[in-house]
Amino acid sequence: MSDPGNAAVASESDASTLDEAEAGEPEQDDGAEPNADDADAAEGAGDAVEGTSDATEGAGEADEGAGEAAERASETPTDRERRREVATDRWLGIAGAALALVGLGVLVRQPSLVLSGAVGVGYAVYARAGDAPTPTLSVTRSVSDEAPAPGDEVRVTVRAENVGETALPDLRLVDGVPPGLAVVDGPARVATALRPGTAVTFEYTVRAARGDHEWEPLTAITRDAAGARERETTLDAPTAIACTPELSAGGDLPLRGLTTVHHGRVPTDVGGSGVEFHATREYRRGDPLKRIDWNRRARTGELSTVELREERAATVVLLVDARESAYVAADPDAETAVEASVAAAGQAFSALLDGGDRVGVAALSPLDCWLPPGSGTVHAARGRETLATDPALAPTPSGERFYRSLWLRRFRRRLPADAQVLFFTPLVDDTAATLARRIDAHGHLVTVLSPDPTTTETAGRRLTTFERRQRLRTLRSAGIRALEWGDDSFPVAVAAATRRWSR
Amino acid sequence: MRPLAVVGVLAVAVGLLAALDRGIAAAISPTSAVVTLIGVLGVVQGVRYANARRDRRRLLTDPGEPERRAPAAVPGSDLDEQIARVASPSPGGYRDRRDLRDRVREVAVDAVARDRNCSREAAAAAVDDGTWTEAPAAAAFFDTQSAYPLRLRLSAGIRGRSNYWYGLRAAIDAIERIEGGSS
Repeated sequence: MSDPGNAAVASESDASTLDEAEAGEPEQDDGAEPNADDADAAEGAGDAVEGTSDATEGAGEADEGAGEAAERASETPTDRERRREVATDRWLGIAGAALALVGLGVLVRQPSLVLSGAVGVGYAVYARAGDAPTPTLSVTRSVSDEAPAPGDEVRVTVRAENVGETALPDLRLVDGVPPGLAVVDGPARVATALRPGTAVTFEYTVRAARGDHEWEPLTAITRDAAGARERETTLDAPTAIACTPELSAGGDLPLRGLTTVHHGRVPTDVGGSGVEFHATREYRRGDPLKRIDWNRRARTGELSTVELREERAATVVLLVDARESAYVAADPDAETAVEASVAAAGQAFSALLDGGDRVGVAALSPLDCWLPPGSGTVHAARGRETLATDPALAPTPSGERFYRSLWLRRFRRRLPADAQVLFFTPLVDDTAATLARRIDAHGHLVTVLSPDPTTTETAGRRLTTFERRQRLRTLRSAGIRALEWGDDSFPVAVAAATRRWSR
Repeated sequence: MRPLAVVGVLAVAVGLLAALDRGIAAAISPTSAVVTLIGVLGVVQGVRYANARRDRRRLLTDPGEPERRAPAAVPGSDLDEQIARVASPSPGGYRDRRDLRDRVREVAVDAVARDRNCSREAAAAAVDDGTWTEAPAAAAFFDTQSAYPLRLRLSAGIRGRSNYWYGLRAAIDAIERIEGGSS
């Protein structure tokens, strides 16, 4: 941030202060820099970063030079990238109109008309005289909270100071709000004019949503005084917020019978110790007395042992569909199916960890995301972090291409042999359904959990709804558990489905 | 345009010389006809230049709407665009029509197979010969032998829509009735 006093001096067009700012030779007095080359002025301001490094090399006056360099560090121009310069055509035809007036004046022998044509010529010259300046701005962006909770309002303040030598008669700044965030108060832009040394500040509020949100470069649009030429420049002022939702356990999902050898809560078809009756078998020496079927002994005289259904822990991988096609919603402004999937995966993650299962996270996405199954509090924190901020599960699609076979090969290589998969997908295309069947066919029992993003307002949407329903039916008929939820919450849908599902 | 430019450059050169050298200025006699001609030329050229503005829009950088969250796609909106393309009665868009018909047919066959508890082959035969639904427009959508009802064709003609579009909507309605009954 620049010193306000310094800015005030500069705003009063104190030429010597400006010269000092652009020349990059801090050890020199104002008076020693009277011949600042005008031609270098524009470039000089842009080279202020180099200027600071020169300052540290200041011969003989290192201390003083370093001090002044530190003072000017706040005025370092923000890195910029020139995008394009265009003629706006605002004054297009003014020369023609002027010429036509002069011609008309000559034709009707009216000197006043010829003179009025001269006014038009003046405008034509005015339109061609200037050039859209390249802004040399020092941009700082600050946020009121860098780690907000979902739904919190975050105040963003952007300050742009003209640290260049040229005045900006028409400057529009449009901030690069992350695509996953919505502005709820105030436009994220400003239009102003900035003399050298002056600054503009604007504020707006965004509503925080899950994910790592990085601001895109700020766009500066400058025009010359006549508005005839326009230049677009981007200014890079890195800012980010990370919004990590708390994981709450919900949706106590019944798992399928693929388990580890460790004790847990998933009832298996293996007889042993447990609580639920499984079978009886012939008594073997060493069987505990309390498991002997004494009724049978009394009835038949034979010794037999009651086997109970063993309850074991499972290894579960939560697979979230985050391909570009999964970023769909019933309404363009609604939460996408990826958000619904990630929220449900978070609930399942907590519930499964609490139940003693080993849980991992993966994304069906062009970007790699893999958290190996594990348990414990550290793993819980890692899972929360992965679900909240992994780039593969970002709130907006990455735009990269997804290669299904490559992804499947890599996923199978990583997947532990005894892992079952909870696949969160909106099922809006055949790829998701095919993958679910292929993973299931490889012995990793799959449960498909599908947020419903479809609507029935138009013919195309109705057709998509029918197709999705058919995919669900096909999966169920292939022996894959499938559950969908729309307006209901995920735990409610799970509770309803649990009653239907057999083990 | 090149000869006109040459004439223009020459005229400017003569004008400059005339401004510097009175002798040349005196040689050009400003008769009424010459002055009128210059006036007419000025007006014509001026109007021509000014006219360039008529068809041109001002080029302004559009910074977009960064305040709005990136909108999500709505499932089926791509299909709606495809349907809109085949809505006009003009011929063409054959591939769009064929793709859409195939897609709707798949859904219809699945729905009929489930509703009648028959094989997909039997359901496909029912869809193809139009016996899968009571709605004649929906039946005609897949059955190439039967024509669309006269009322539909009249309605399509008056409203400037294609018969195909009406048939497609009727088929989707018919599927919805089956879905509603069987789900």
